[in-house]
Amino acid sequence: MNEPGIRVSRRRFLARAAAVGAAVLPGARRALAQPTPTISYWNGLTGADGKVMDELIEQFTRDTGIRVEQQRIPWADLYAKLQVSVPAGEGPDLALIHTIEVPHFANDGVLQPIDDATASGNGFRGDEYLPSTWQGGVYQGKRYAIPLDVPQHILYMNVSVMRAGGLVGADGKPKVPASRDELLAMAKQIARGDTFGFAIGTVNPGKYTWGFQNLLWQNGANVFTADFKRSALTEPSAVEVAEFFGAIHAQHKIAPPANASCRDAFIAGKLGLWIAGSWNFTGLRDAKVDFAVAPVPRLFKQPTVWTMPHQYTFPKPKAPDPAKREAAWRHIRWMSDHVAEWTLRAGQVSARRQAHSDPRITGDPVLKTLLAQAPNWQGGQPTPRWVPAENLTRPVIETVYIGQKPARAAMEDLARQINALPE
Amino acid sequence: MSTHTPRRPRRGALTPYLFLAPGLLLFSVFRLYPLLDGLRLSFTNARLGRAEYGWVGLANYERLLEDTRFHTSLWNTAFYTAASTLPILAIPLVLAVALNRGVVLRTFLRSAFFFPFTLSVVTVGLTWLWLLDPIVGPFNYYLRGLGLPVRSWLADPYTAMWAIILTTVWWVAGYYLVIYLAGLQDIPPELYEAAALDGASGWRSFWSITLPLLRPVLLFVFVTHIIGSFQIFGQVFVLTQGGPGDATRTVVQHLYETAFQNFFHFGSASAMAWVLFGLIVMFSLIQFRLLRGHTEY
Repeated sequence: MNEPGIRVSRRRFLARAAAVGAAVLPGARRALAQPTPTISYWNGLTGADGKVMDELIEQFTRDTGIRVEQQRIPWADLYAKLQVSVPAGEGPDLALIHTIEVPHFANDGVLQPIDDATASGNGFRGDEYLPSTWQGGVYQGKRYAIPLDVPQHILYMNVSVMRAGGLVGADGKPKVPASRDELLAMAKQIARGDTFGFAIGTVNPGKYTWGFQNLLWQNGANVFTADFKRSALTEPSAVEVAEFFGAIHAQHKIAPPANASCRDAFIAGKLGLWIAGSWNFTGLRDAKVDFAVAPVPRLFKQPTVWTMPHQYTFPKPKAPDPAKREAAWRHIRWMSDHVAEWTLRAGQVSARRQAHSDPRITGDPVLKTLLAQAPNWQGGQPTPRWVPAENLTRPVIETVYIGQKPARAAMEDLARQINALPE
Repeated sequence: MSTHTPRRPRRGALTPYLFLAPGLLLFSVFRLYPLLDGLRLSFTNARLGRAEYGWVGLANYERLLEDTRFHTSLWNTAFYTAASTLPILAIPLVLAVALNRGVVLRTFLRSAFFFPFTLSVVTVGLTWLWLLDPIVGPFNYYLRGLGLPVRSWLADPYTAMWAIILTTVWWVAGYYLVIYLAGLQDIPPELYEAAALDGASGWRSFWSITLPLLRPVLLFVFVTHIIGSFQIFGQVFVLTQGGPGDATRTVVQHLYETAFQNFFHFGSASAMAWVLFGLIVMFSLIQFRLLRGHTEY
């Protein structure tokens, strides 16, 4: 049967059989693990930032030999997928998530804690980071995440729209509102026909919880009480914010309809003042919109700026794989060292301080404004009930926005729903 | 002989099951098992991703009795079903009768009307989302151009559900149109000829010949539409996510949010699914009764 040309010696046969066996048996596979493994990495960077991430990862692979298999899934689906796959042992080696997702994933055992020795052993120290971002990776005294960048709000001003409203000075710079009354007056001056004076939110401003949270924080209010036990949305300071939220469209007619795409309206020259995410500005530049930026104006008691840092996390693996974990750490390390590139091309300022003095970043008017907001940054409350509460908030604030429900009644209803959420 | 006879029928009896086996296996794994497991979960406090959960008896069903948003979603689903039925039955019928008469460009029009149905619900939803956009959408642009009042159709609690119905009619009309056309072509032309000889008008022929002879087809469309309506989700999910407020929240939207967004409550979402299943079974039985009484196949 054997052809005379391919004679296999017994020793060679045994060696080959052992190699095949090693590849098949999981225990033996580890022994043969290559020095540069492939890691799986899930993130929700579905916008233009995803392309930048691809390019940086290619560069990372060239530098280190470590291959990264990315899965890019819209954020909401990514979180559902993590919740399902990690307990089944099918999660990725590395996942990028929003800070407010850390508490509930940590609480459900989806994420693996990172001890301080491991973090510092890999070169990550708290004093290198802006405190709020570093603290965002901690839940109940344990660290679960390493921050990457700080998506946040900023005020965009459409120069041509504001010029039409007589709000651009002789120096060509648009006037920046300094208070709520001033903002309302300016927005009224701009709004006519299908052009709107002011909006907060990228799409669907009626249910833009992140904007609502920003306003709450500016007024010293919040979703939960300080001990996270109950909702604080019935406090007068929260109701006052809800009243403002319910007036801008339904009463003052300065803000676009609840389901409008504010971004499209801004690009189309139909929106003047716009508080929205920092992730929009690279797109506005690509669309050649004539715009200027300013820090989020103080509309209530304090000039708080909403932020939502992205965090690197390690979903709990079925069995520990030190080589893959090491490779994942190297990727975080590499990205943190190259985070200036990420900031410049994806438009998100870094959580790590070092890149903040990069002249290319300090020379960019938008990035400079984003960094200057740092003292006013605030994030969501670290409770596992934050995300479900946010889901409940969306339809309720929409009824307020369209003027269907009075602010106080809506907040009472919402607080009742939030209080009924299971622990 | 006597030794052979018992073997033959046994082999013969097995054969159809062997042919059915692959289908039955897939049906059991992907349909029956999830269905029954859903029933089991509906009596537990199961949460996706949590290993341990306990038996809670009928608590999930009891909670549904108090869940006002579930009641709203039931009402919205009923409203959608009732309000969409007439346009879904009538509009394709009018088009089918017109196309059956030999209009110019008949074949082209038939394809054109059917085309939307070949699109996925997400494509349809995104297209209409853009068409109905309150600021940059063409719909409002032309209304404004004609000097007519505009509103944000999908963000207004009085118009949002109607906008979803409009989208659905545009999407599925072509499918029902093709079914009606098949039914119309089954009506013997002699009947119309005889009616014409007797001096019947077109309208009279429609009422006395077309409509009665089309009844089986109408009932089929009616039943499939009602069952589909109870499960409406895609259009709502893409166009309004149940909003504004809860104005277009339907049962499946609420179920989806309970299962996949708010704490992954599989137990209570499964209970909703079974309530919906019960309702669909109930309505289907009523309709099958109607069908049985009046239709000959």
